[in-house]
Amino acid sequence: MTRARTIDLLTPMLIGAFLLAAALAMPAHAQAADAVVAQARAAGQVGEQADGYLGYPNGAQASADVRSHVDQINIRRRALYTSRAQQRNVSVNEMAAAVACEIFQGRIAVGERYRDEGGQWRQRTGSQQVSMPSFCPS
Amino acid sequence: MNVRAQMLTGLAAVTVAGCIPVQIQAPDRPIEINLNVNIRQEVIVRLEHDAEDLLQQNQDLF
Repeated sequence: MTRARTIDLLTPMLIGAFLLAAALAMPAHAQAADAVVAQARAAGQVGEQADGYLGYPNGAQASADVRSHVDQINIRRRALYTSRAQQRNVSVNEMAAAVACEIFQGRIAVGERYRDEGGQWRQRTGSQQVSMPSFCPS
Repeated sequence: MNVRAQMLTGLAAVTVAGCIPVQIQAPDRPIEINLNVNIRQEVIVRLEHDAEDLLQQNQDLF
């Protein structure tokens, strides 16, 4: 009887603890990439730039909807770069460039377009590596 | 009064003008550009961890 009661008490506690842990873990994984922008990237209408922001490749026909999503992302990226730059006592451009290095290293899929350090738009093809900006650590 | 104020302003201008060239002389242009290039690469190496962190924490933006 004592045993059964202990279990009765323990079960809700365990469930509660599990839910709490899940709730705490959520924020890190809840955010998903913007579907509109992901699609536009795959279609070559939007691409990553060496300055740490998204841009529009030459001749790309990005819709008003896509542009508004891209603008929002760039504004929020800038806010992120700015606050981290202030914490680290570096310029916003330097923080943005450091992020660009990470993006160029592993976040440009085959077929996507990207704008290199010289301002030229390129496309990553299957056999080609992304051409890294010169300021990135090798 | 007015003349005195003008004289003081003049004196201040001379003092400032006398000081500025000494301060400006320090950073020589070519040296400054070279330093910037070096500092920049160093800074980006130092920020590698922060950059990874920002990408991980803001997957909706990258």
